[in-house]
Amino acid sequence: MKLVVNAKLFAAILCLMTFVICATASGAEGEPDRVVCDIHAGPCSAHISGSKVSLDIEPKPVKAMHDLTFTVTLAGEKPVAAPYIDLGMPGMNMGRNRVILKPAGELIYRGEGIIVRCPSGRRTWKAKVTVPDVGSVEFVFDVIY
Amino acid sequence: MLSTETIYLVIFATGLAVGFGHCIGMCGPIVVSLSLSLKGRSVLVPHLLYNGGRITTYGLLGGVMGATGSFTRVVASIASLQKGVMILTGMLIVVMGLAMAGWIPLGVIFGDYFNPQGVLSRGFRKLSEAKSTATYYPLGMLLGLLPCGPVYTALLAAARAGMEAQSTLEGFFIGVGLMLSFGLGTVAALLVIAKLADLGWLKRRDVIYKISSVIMVIVGVYFVVKAIRY
Repeated sequence: MKLVVNAKLFAAILCLMTFVICATASGAEGEPDRVVCDIHAGPCSAHISGSKVSLDIEPKPVKAMHDLTFTVTLAGEKPVAAPYIDLGMPGMNMGRNRVILKPAGELIYRGEGIIVRCPSGRRTWKAKVTVPDVGSVEFVFDVIY
Repeated sequence: MLSTETIYLVIFATGLAVGFGHCIGMCGPIVVSLSLSLKGRSVLVPHLLYNGGRITTYGLLGGVMGATGSFTRVVASIASLQKGVMILTGMLIVVMGLAMAGWIPLGVIFGDYFNPQGVLSRGFRKLSEAKSTATYYPLGMLLGLLPCGPVYTALLAAARAGMEAQSTLEGFFIGVGLMLSFGLGTVAALLVIAKLADLGWLKRRDVIYKISSVIMVIVGVYFVVKAIRY
């Protein structure tokens, strides 16, 4: 009898886990382009819908658990709103870590943020830059712990 | 900018999502070890206490983050403590693994195994008799200090909210609230793992316990190595 109860509980748990994982995954609005780059060497660049987007992080080398300044430079038309950056690890949910950017010049946006440290030892992080009404791109790079 | 109420919901949802996606992998071994060490007794109350302790620590850390508004300064000041807790946790898992299989009676480690009336033996006996279900609360508080990426992210949100607060006290309470919301979100996943690791319904548990002991020792050593390299 107890075995049956446990089997039902196990099935219920699996359903719950599947629901949560699927709900989390379906929150994504399509996979953005992913660009691997060396952020320590200089800004990372890519194109969203034909417009160039550059991301730079200071100070260098880029270290986790330190105050960092993120700068996004756009080319082309001014977006409807300031871009923003979501920091995370590829393939690992690290929670919502958004860097809010503010205008700092013509098509230049700047904000403060922190890349946290993962005790697993993995050093590869991604910064998803979203330009409202235009699209987004993911820059993938290694940081120093 | 999100309203305070929305942030609480977002951070609770974050806790729920990272609980199933991240905590299971990182904290799972600890939870499984705790469940197995209960040897078939009910896991619910001990694990609720463990989670309560963990969330209490999160809340306190969130309060400090919210009051100071500084993530990096607070994290830097507790870095050594976190490393120590990580090493201690690894050693604890190893000892629990060895003791669970009966390979090392705890008394032997503390030198008075052959004297059942020895202070340490009596102490451990009391501890294990009570298994003071209540001991899971301070244990959870201690393990709440373990370094964890999503916890750092939530603490970062608490520090940011604190920076925007009107006073230090308001920042403290917002920080506490945010980290309690995050912690509550992570509870479901860890309770699921605790229940799955509860082998009370198995008839032939001895072999499973022996295998689990070996795994616990390996996981404990892994924790210690990871802590030393952290």
